[in-house]
Formats: sequence, C-alpha cells, structure tokens
Amino acid sequence: MGGMNKEIELQSFFIFNSAFGPKEGDLEGDQLKKILYYYPSTDNTRVQEDNVGLVEGIVQFTQTFNPSSPVSSLHTSKLRQLYFQPEPDFWVVLTLTLPIVTKVKENATSVEYLEEDLQDNVYEAALKQAYYMYRLFWGTFQNTLDKNDLDTLKLRMEIFFTAYLKSIKISNLDILTIFGGIQYLPLDRQTFLNIQCFVNFIESKWNYIAHTAFLYNEHIIWSGLEPNDMQMIYQYLTGTLLPANVETELQGGSMPRNTASPFISLHHGRFITGPTNLKQAKTIGKVPKVYLFSQGQVREYHLVVYRALSATVCFFIEGKTELALNDFKALDEFINPKLSSIVNDIAEYCSKQVVTPSSTPETPKFIYFNKLNLAYKSSVHLDNKHTGNVTCNKDSLRVMSDMKHTNSYLGLDGENIVKTTNDYWVFSKTSNLREFYIVLQQKNASLIGISEEVKRLCETELDRIFFHPM
Amino acid sequence: MSQDTDSYLELSDDPVRFEPVNQLTNVFFDDTNKDVFTVRSGGVMGVVVKGPSENNKPLNFRMEDRGSVLSIKLSLDRKVLAVQRTNTSIELMNFNGDSLESEYSISCKKNSNILGFIWSNLNELAIVTDHGIELYTVIPDKKSLKQLKSISVTVQWFVWCPKNKIAILASAHGSQLQPVSIKQGCINKLHKVETESGRMALERDVTLATLYNVPAVLILRHQSGPQTAEVHVHTLTGPGLAPVKAHVLKLGLAGRFAINVVDDLILVHHQASRSSQIFDISLPGESDGTVKYHTMVAPRSSFKATSISLPGLVEPQAHDCELYSPNWVVFQPNIVIDAKLGCLWHINLSLLQLCNQINDLSICTQVALKRSNGKPVLLKLLLKTINQNQPPLDKLQEAFNHINFVYRDWVEMELQSQSGSPPNAPFPKKTIPRVLIDQSTMYEEIFQKMEADLSKTERVLVCYLASLAEYGIPAQLNINTLIVSTLVRQNKFTALQQLLQYGVISDMKPLASLLVSLGNMHPSSTQMALDMLARLNASEEIQEILLSEGQILSALKIAKDKADPRKYLTAAQNSGDPTLLHSVLYYFRNHPKFSIVLQNDQRLHTFINEYNDIFSTSEV
Repeated sequence: MGGMNKEIELQSFFIFNSAFGPKEGDLEGDQLKKILYYYPSTDNTRVQEDNVGLVEGIVQFTQTFNPSSPVSSLHTSKLRQLYFQPEPDFWVVLTLTLPIVTKVKENATSVEYLEEDLQDNVYEAALKQAYYMYRLFWGTFQNTLDKNDLDTLKLRMEIFFTAYLKSIKISNLDILTIFGGIQYLPLDRQTFLNIQCFVNFIESKWNYIAHTAFLYNEHIIWSGLEPNDMQMIYQYLTGTLLPANVETELQGGSMPRNTASPFISLHHGRFITGPTNLKQAKTIGKVPKVYLFSQGQVREYHLVVYRALSATVCFFIEGKTELALNDFKALDEFINPKLSSIVNDIAEYCSKQVVTPSSTPETPKFIYFNKLNLAYKSSVHLDNKHTGNVTCNKDSLRVMSDMKHTNSYLGLDGENIVKTTNDYWVFSKTSNLREFYIVLQQKNASLIGISEEVKRLCETELDRIFFHPM
Repeated sequence: MSQDTDSYLELSDDPVRFEPVNQLTNVFFDDTNKDVFTVRSGGVMGVVVKGPSENNKPLNFRMEDRGSVLSIKLSLDRKVLAVQRTNTSIELMNFNGDSLESEYSISCKKNSNILGFIWSNLNELAIVTDHGIELYTVIPDKKSLKQLKSISVTVQWFVWCPKNKIAILASAHGSQLQPVSIKQGCINKLHKVETESGRMALERDVTLATLYNVPAVLILRHQSGPQTAEVHVHTLTGPGLAPVKAHVLKLGLAGRFAINVVDDLILVHHQASRSSQIFDISLPGESDGTVKYHTMVAPRSSFKATSISLPGLVEPQAHDCELYSPNWVVFQPNIVIDAKLGCLWHINLSLLQLCNQINDLSICTQVALKRSNGKPVLLKLLLKTINQNQPPLDKLQEAFNHINFVYRDWVEMELQSQSGSPPNAPFPKKTIPRVLIDQSTMYEEIFQKMEADLSKTERVLVCYLASLAEYGIPAQLNINTLIVSTLVRQNKFTALQQLLQYGVISDMKPLASLLVSLGNMHPSSTQMALDMLARLNASEEIQEILLSEGQILSALKIAKDKADPRKYLTAAQNSGDPTLLHSVLYYFRNHPKFSIVLQNDQRLHTFINEYNDIFSTSEV
C-alpha cells in the first residue's frame, strides 16, 4: 500500500428534532421519527438512530455547563462534527472525516489524521449556508410545518439537501466560505448612474417590483437588497442559476445563430426565470419564490431574473402579486433596448481597465473583505466557484482562516503576521470593519522587509478607503 | 381647434386705439417707429400719430392738403416728417413737437418711380425706386438733403427690416430676391436669396424677421395640387450674411397665411381655419443634411377672445373683436392692426398654456429654455411633472439634460472669465442664457418644494445627479446632503454605501461630518465617513473620530508630529487604562520634538505625576 492521502470528506449530514421522537423515558418509541433528513441514505436505520442519539446526548450534556451558548463542534481523532440549531429544537449536523496522510517509515506505514487542517469556522459557515439556502427558497422549517405538514417538510428537505450536498465541494472550502462575500464590479460613475436610473425607471413603472439587483457577469453593480439577503441570492445566482444558463447560451440553445435577416436588430435579452422563451410562451413558466429575513420579518418575493449579454437583472416582486404573461412581455420590451446600450458601456469600461500583469509566485496575493457590505476581492482565487483553483498553497489559506478566528480578539484594528515552514508569509490586518489578508512567498525575507512589502500593497490596493496606519 | 380657455395666444388687452378708416380718414403704419398715423382729409383736418403703446402721448398737428397721401413717416428722432404724395418726390417738414415748420422736398432721378422710402438711420432717408435705391442725409437746419449713395437695380417691390436695416428688393415677380443692407451711409448688396429658379413670390408672402439674433427671410410657399403650404426660412448666416435656406416649416394647410414672430417663435396665422400654428427653429427636426423640416410645436390654437369698449348711446359698450378678420394686417414682429376697428394689438404668448399643450416634457423644456420668461414656467412645469403620481423619469432626465446643457456652458464661461484671462484684460462679455436653472435653483424651487415622498425624491435626485455627471458638473453640497439625508431617512444605508462607492456622492468634509453624526443609526456610516476623510486627506478630522471612539494610539499614529500632547494624555488618562497612559507618555518622551515640550510645559506634569503614582517609579 503506497502513501494514501485523503482530503476532507463528508461523512454525514442530518437534521433532527427531538420533539418529534418518543417522550423521555419511553424507550420503546420510534426513534426514527425525530430524524427529518439523513444523508447518506445508505446508512442503515440503526446507524442513523445511533448517530442522532449521540448528538442528542452531547447537546444535552454540554447544555448543563453553558446553557446560553449551545455546543458548536465535536473534535475526535478521526472525525469532526459541527452542530447548528437554526430554529428551536431543530438541529442540523455535519460530520466530516479529517484529512489523512499516510507515511511510510522504515517499511511501516502509519496513517496520520491532520486535525489542524480542518478549520471549524469554515465548516460552521458551510453548515449555516446550507440551512440559509434552504430557508431562502422554502422559508423556515417551522413555516412548512405551520402551513403544510411534517411529510411536506421531509420531502422538501430530501429534494433540497440531496441536491445541495452534491453541489458543494467540501474539500475546497476556505476563508471565502466564512465571508460568504459579494464581488462588486468597479465602474465609472456615469455608467453606474445610468444603471441606477434604469433601475429607478423600472421600479417606478412597475411598482410591485420591490427591489432590483444588477449584475455583470458574476459581479454586482447595484443591489437594492440588504447585504445579508443579497448574500444568499448572490450565492444562488453565481453558484447555480447563472452557470447553468451560461452553459445553455454557449451551446447556442437559446440564442439562434442564424437570425432571419442580419438587419433585424438582435433581441439579446430573455428571462431565465419565468417565461424563458417569450415568443412561444403560453404560461409564465417557473418563477421561484424567495424568503428574505434581514429586516426583522419574513418577506416573500417572486424572483424574476432577466439576462441580456453578460448582464443579469433580478427583480424581487412582492409575493402577493399575480404575475401575468403580459407583464413579462411589457417588461421585456422596456428592458431589452435599454439594457443593450448599458451593457455596451460597461463592457467598454471594463475593457479599458488595465489588466494586471500575469502573476508570478512572488507577487503578493491578497484577500479583502468588508464586513459592512460583504464585499470581497481576492487575487488568491482564480474563480469564485470553489474549484480549488488558487494561487497560493492551501496551508496559507488555512492560516488565514485561523487568523480570522483570532482577529476577533484584536478589537477595532490589529495586525497578525505568520511565517509558515515553506517560506510563506501570511499577513492579516483588520481595520475600520474591514479585513485584509496577504500571502507572500519570499526566501530569506525579514519581518521588516515583509512589512514594507505589505505597506506598499496596502497603498496601491486600498487607496480609496481609510485604513488604520501600520 | 383649441378652446379659448387653453389658448396660448392672446392680443394685448390695451390695444392702441385710433380713428378707424373711413371716407375722410386714411390710416398709415410706420413699422420702423411703430407709429400709427391717422390722416383726416389729407392732413387739413389734422394728423394724429400714436406710438406703439397707448401710454405714449399722441402727436397732433395739421398739414396742408396737397393731394392724397401715399405714405407718411417721422424720422427716428421724430423731428422731421416725410410725406409721399406723388411717385416722383418726397416732401419733408421739420417738426417741433406741436406743429410743422419749414418745408423742403426731394425728387428722385428722372424716369424713376418711387416705390417707397425708409428712415434708415438718424437723418438718413433711403428712397426706393423701380430703378434702385438713393440714400440721402437730411440736414433739417439747412432744409436741404445731400445724396450719400445710390445703387441701380430693378425693383418691383421691397420689404424693409428696421431692426437689422436690411431690405429685400424683389424683381422678376419676386423670383429674384436681393437683400441689401443700408447702414451708416452705405448700401451693400448681399448675396441673393437662392430660390428655385422662376419661383415667384408676392410681397405679402415675404417676411423679414430676426430669429435668435440672426436676420432671416421667411418666404411663404404655396403649393399647387394636394400639397400644403410651407414656410422657407433663409437665415443670413452664410459668409457675408449670405442667406442660407436652413429650415422649412410644414404648415399642413393651404390658403392665406400671415406671419409674426414672438420671442423667437414663428407664428403662422391661417385665415380660413381662424387658427395659428407655432414653430421653433431651434427644436430638432427631420433634416436632409442642410435643411431642417419642422412641424408645429403644439396643436393649432386661436387667439383668446378679446373685446374693446365702443361708445354707446348711454354708456360704453363692449364689442367683441372679430379674430382673424379680413381687415387684419400684420406687421413685424408681433403687431396686428385692424384698420376698420381702429386697433393696434401686440401678440402675447402665454408660455405656460403653450407648454401645457406640449405633451412631451423634453420638447417642452427645450421650448421653455429659449423663452425670455421661461424660467418660472419651466420650474412650475417640472414641479408639476414630478408631483405626478408616477413621474416619467426618462422624460425628466431628458429635461434635466437640456437644462444642464445650458448650465454647463454657463459654468464653463464663468470659469474662463475667472481664470483664463490675464488680470488686466477686458472682462469678456458674458451672454447670460435666457433661462439658467442652476443647482441652487433646482434645490430651492424643485427639491424643497416637491411633495414629501422620499422614494420619489431619491429617484428624481438620482436622475438629476446622473444628468449633472453627464455634463461634468460637480454636485453642490446641498444636493449631496439632500441625497444622503433622503437615503438615510428611508434607512437605505446599503444604497448610500453603493452611491459613495461609485463616487456619485462627492467627497466633502461637511458630508463626512453628517455621516459621522449618523454613526449610531448604522455602523457603515462611520466607515463611510472615515473613507471619505481619508480621500480628502483630512487627518485632523480622522484623529477626532478615532479619539472619540477611544482609538487613541491609532489617532496618535496619524497625528505624527502634529499631535497635541495634552489632548492625547487627557484621552489616555480618561480611558482608565494605565498601559495606554504608559504608551502615550512614553511615545511623547521618546519623541525628539515632544520630549522637550513634556519637560517645559508645566501643565503636562500632572500626567507625569499621575503616571508616577500608578507605576511608582521616580522618573519618566
């Protein structure tokens, strides 16, 4: 057996509510009733019951020590378990296997579990996001129970989480998962204002459109939603909806290659939720409903997404509104011509931006995050799809996650520098509710040299904002 | 046709009244001085001269009857009266304000027939004959005339424009139109008006006007067949004032027309339909590259009904004046005379009514921006549009763009006059735009007065800001403050953040202070304030904010050499954190500049003493 290495893997994911099980002391009752969702379904009921029972025990046991803050994770030598109680009595649990390295020493192989290579805060964030994504489309668990019944809830969980768990790339999660950030597009004032006016025209013309968001590729230009709400929408758009549509567009499925006449102006735009083919549509098609929570109460919206060229416009329409096909047609007629010229302006601006010279391993990489608008920027990640396509080593990313954890103790501003074994320097700074992480690889560098380098980078990348002096 | 109530055209309500034409009385109008002459019995029974305003005192005099009068005009200073009774001579009489004194006369060249005469300048008389123009200077004291100039050209009829001192001489039945300028003792032939060859024109179809300070020849072109009439506008804008056919007004009607100009708008009255159309050559129109084709700005309208009081048997009676009467004669620029009724009216335009009839706000704005009394009307119109339930934001933005186009030119001119010229250079003459709506006006007249609907205010403001940005005009503090407060009152901090991020809201210290004061409403406002101050390099303000948040060391790092030790030590002392006091005190002690201050300033010793009390060391 050669050196076998394994990355972090998902072992199980389940949701239970003890209140649905047998009453305390009733040992004969059906324990399975408390399990609302369990992955993988290949685990037999015995295993499922044992796992849930164990978590129940741990939760109850730890509660006696600190009733105000429930248990969040359990470390064992081979496993890591994370707990999240999003609603009273509902527990969502994620179990992961620790990464493994197999070492061969004097003909003896030994397996080592790398406990330090799994950051709790990363996977806590992933766990919470799984719940929040569910809640975005179906509302709270309790909501389904109140409006429907337990079977409906189980069915929804089954459909949603089975697909969701397949889509997340467990081993590639890192500090970006903790941020759950949003990428904004740098743009000139005039084009931004034109977009603002465009959005205002639409919102005043169709006053049931409560909010609008405008994206170009995967970058947000305008969002009328609070960042906390936008966060999940953004992940849904960039993670699921848009990639699926870009693929169909690339296949030429939706945009005919040969229009009847070259003189007919091209109709670029179309709805990607709702009637996707307006000419042939007889019904309004599928329009997802979303539940937003950030303003103290639940609000329900239809999410209508329109896409033209590289721009995506999301309309959040009051949930009570009855949507009609004619509304979509009118909206399309209004949007399409205006959007084309706006997209041209954006594309022109973007093409004028200086392309950063191809980065070498020596150029410092950075991640920037602003807690207040959830904006992030990363030169570490080459895309935002969690493909593991990163420009620095994974160790440094893990160091960042650890720093993120400790930075919360530093107060309003603080700095942290770590040197790793393989000549990587990781620097972090929090200031003015922003976080800035830098990775450098330099042999024989001194602390002063690194500080100078960091200072230079801060000056070029953060010149438009206030950053606490070094 | 429009009803009276919303008619945008009206006749002045105090017309100049004169004795109507009858068997004994002749009426003449001099369109140079705008005088109406009523000549009774050839002048023996008296001549009454009334100026263009009813307020002017009329002149009264008698003159001898030497045959019927063909034309009568006072000189520009009203000191010489010129009367034409024959085709060959003009009689001149010095006038002292009450009566005529000496008489002298001038005859034209042999074999010539006088078509008319013009007081072209003070004491300059131009006589137009069928053979050309003779220009004389009149010397009243010597009772003589001296010929200055003459030109030879065949003339059938002519039209004179007293404002631009340009005459059009027509020959070949009006198919040849020759403009001449008569100025300061000179007669200059200009380039001919280029018309389709052989196309004839009647005297009454040719109008000389001034449009946007440019002399223009307006020719009514009647069409044969089913086509409708047009007005061709030749502006004297070519090299050497050459007339250029620049505009065609599509009338869409046939029949008899008359033309007036009010406030640079062309009015075309149509007798058969008793209505008038209005045109503005400055509006965009369909163009074939050289000529712009215009249609009327607003639906056709009639004059508002008007009445005059006539003496009755017992008491004066109101008499409704017939509008578009066959007795009407129009004179430039805006005069209508009904000689049978004895009335001279000026045409007034009600811009507000006109604008009310133009549905398109953008066109309306363009029309109002060019009118001399346009500002209050335009502001009223904008406010009305904004206060609608669902204001048309796209049209509003177009309107703002037209407004800011004018505003930008003005701002640039102001800047040039302030910076461009050397201190001793003569101040460049500024042409103030007819309607200038700057940011202060917008703020006071629109944003302060519009109904209190925050989301609408936000949208309209963004529209306005977009338009300002389009024309590169930086927004003033009050506009910036208003957008900030409008967003804050709606709790839209996310939107505010985005507007700041994309530079829509300018960086200004007072705005930063406003944001700081909002810090308790949303944590992002402090961040935004600090960012803004950082961009403004306002390190003192940043220090104050950091100090107020207890970030003493951070503030000290920014202060560098300019820190006030007392302020920082007080803050450290108040923090109740001994290590902070230690850090601040040691910073000052080890600093080359501050260590001396620390030693010499007695007031600072209290801090040292306190420090010593805490740490029980004897020296600092």
